[in-house]
Amino acid sequence: MTLAFVGGTHRTVPLPLRERLAFSAEQAAEALERFRLRFPGREAVLLSTCNRVELYAAGEEAATPPPAEQLVSFLAECRGIDASLLAPVLARESDEAVVRHLFSVASGLDSMVLGEPQIVSQVKQAWALAQRTETTGPLTGGMFQAALRTAKRVASETALGRERLSIPSVAVADFARGVFETFDDKRVLVIGAGKMAHETLRYLREAGASDIVVVNRTADRADRLAGRLGGRPGRFADLVTELAAADLVVSTTGASEPVVTTDLFARAELDRGGRPLVVLDLALPRDFDPAIGTRPGVWLYSIDDLGAACEANRRRRQRELPAAVAIVDEETRRFMGDLHHRTTAPVIERLRAGWTETGDAELERLFRRLPGLDESTRAEIRQAFERYTAKMLHSPLTSLRNESRSGPPHGLLEALKRLFDLKE
Amino acid sequence: MTVFLSGISVVCFAASYLVALGCEASRPFFRSGVRGAVLLGFAAAGFFAHTLFLGWRAATEQAVPLSSPFDWYLLASWLLAGGYLWLMLANPRTQVGLFLLPVVLGLIGAAQLSSRAPFPQSPATQVWGVIHGSFNLAASVAVAGGAVAGLMWLIQAARLTRKRAPVQGLRLPSLELLATTSRRTAQVAAWTAAAGFASGLVLNAVNRRRGLLETVPWNDPVVLRMGLLVAWLVVAAIIARSLARRPDAARTIAWLSLVSFLVLTGSILWGVLGPTRHGVPPGPVTAHEAAP
Repeated sequence: MTLAFVGGTHRTVPLPLRERLAFSAEQAAEALERFRLRFPGREAVLLSTCNRVELYAAGEEAATPPPAEQLVSFLAECRGIDASLLAPVLARESDEAVVRHLFSVASGLDSMVLGEPQIVSQVKQAWALAQRTETTGPLTGGMFQAALRTAKRVASETALGRERLSIPSVAVADFARGVFETFDDKRVLVIGAGKMAHETLRYLREAGASDIVVVNRTADRADRLAGRLGGRPGRFADLVTELAAADLVVSTTGASEPVVTTDLFARAELDRGGRPLVVLDLALPRDFDPAIGTRPGVWLYSIDDLGAACEANRRRRQRELPAAVAIVDEETRRFMGDLHHRTTAPVIERLRAGWTETGDAELERLFRRLPGLDESTRAEIRQAFERYTAKMLHSPLTSLRNESRSGPPHGLLEALKRLFDLKE
Repeated sequence: MTVFLSGISVVCFAASYLVALGCEASRPFFRSGVRGAVLLGFAAAGFFAHTLFLGWRAATEQAVPLSSPFDWYLLASWLLAGGYLWLMLANPRTQVGLFLLPVVLGLIGAAQLSSRAPFPQSPATQVWGVIHGSFNLAASVAVAGGAVAGLMWLIQAARLTRKRAPVQGLRLPSLELLATTSRRTAQVAAWTAAAGFASGLVLNAVNRRRGLLETVPWNDPVVLRMGLLVAWLVVAAIIARSLARRPDAARTIAWLSLVSFLVLTGSILWGVLGPTRHGVPPGPVTAHEAAP
């Protein structure tokens, strides 16, 4: 075994225990320092996010990674938790399964929201922390680099992380942005105090919106909301005027009847000068009469419309899953092939050294018998010997590489050792 | 170097644009990590070859550079291809190639059907000829650009009306940008086409007075088709301007821009296929492939 893993996620570890198990950046650094002292010569990376805590360990030959039970005890000790509580809820993997798991995690395939992109930067941070605490090495280095490459491929070759899943993000990115090129010159009108208004405004502000007016039936509430949302308060009595001036409306009142009727909107429309209007009606029951959506230049989206778009996006993400899994499988096979090939390096080195030594000895003997050879002729003969050695080694090395793709090539290595009398 | 430049043919850059169009068309069907680079590579290579081809013709032709109908169409397609490259680099999140590249390829096709012989020229009419050709070129490019923007507006509006998320690989510019583009190109097309027509009249008058070229009669197909085109573009621009403060203005302008493009296409086909005395030297009347 060269790679080991123990870890728990939102699926396996109950929230109270996950909260106790979670590591801050400082705690993770301390834990890795402790790992380095406890298991010298081994590599380790600790990934701790709000949804998962995972310890990746690696080592070769004399310093193989600690057994899974020791890793569980180590994590429990670091966080002051009884190991018997952790043991039943932490997953354990070794070798290829570790690689496949890390590649899936980095690509967002193991996330609570399929394909969420934040995990890539969290994996990067975990690896960077391990580098700072000097618990990385060639095995974890190669594995994490390959994991980031896999995540990049999944992101660019599939649409897994592209489709938005929350109603505010879909409302702004897929619909409002389809109508408006920029938001920095647009007036945003917020009607009501629904909880989704805050989230929607966050996306709008990121898109550049800064001119925000908040109206509410209660003036005090409008003041407080405007302060909280970073806008200015407006009077509910001026709703027609505010509608006439707005380019985008986010409506989230708790009213049981439509707040904006067709009559009220018709009055506002007179002063709009033909400008388009996007209405995100996030209230239930709806704040805008649906008939307003049929007016030219009005793009009205109810919470059901946006919910349907989110659901369609979710289904599209699911459809991308097989393509993403195929990329993870391909990259896992490639990494494991390279890892197995690493084990052949000492034998290849000895084989090459043996051939080179024999060739050099023969050359020396030849040059002693032919003392009249000039330097350029000697160089030509030396190069011919080197080419011959390289060509003779090509076939066994290719066979070793090919064999490495399906696992450690123990049989071939043994055969080479016996055939060419390669000593340990 | 000369051998290299003279070896560049229309097929070289047309094929590059065709591959780029194929890449654009494949976007909705599958994702690829290398498509963007391939697309940019072929589009840029096509534009580079296109530029060299026009440069080589400008340097080696006897007449004023790029003065044949063939060169004129290639110059129009070159401008649109340059616009496409610029849009691709400036705003890579939106895909406009699926709409712009067919127009580029269509103009290259029209060039292949047109005469490569330059219009007869004399120093006395050269300036007016260049002004006439340049305005007509600007009008045609504006009409084509406006039509592409108008078509994209209608598709984007249909998606937003149906309340669907954008199709994978077909993210279009916003309605705001497309409407602005359609509105402005309608004005530019009308003004430049009118200026092109007026400069053509001046050119004709100079030719008649000095007996330099065959006078183009008022009932010549080129005069008729250009007159119709100018009339339509001016009407379209007036309608577009008068609707500016109406909520359905953008949709109407989008349709107007598409109709303008159809009128332009009909005008080009009429010009490519019909006989004319436009640009004919004095002498016996012959059928001649027309300039736009």
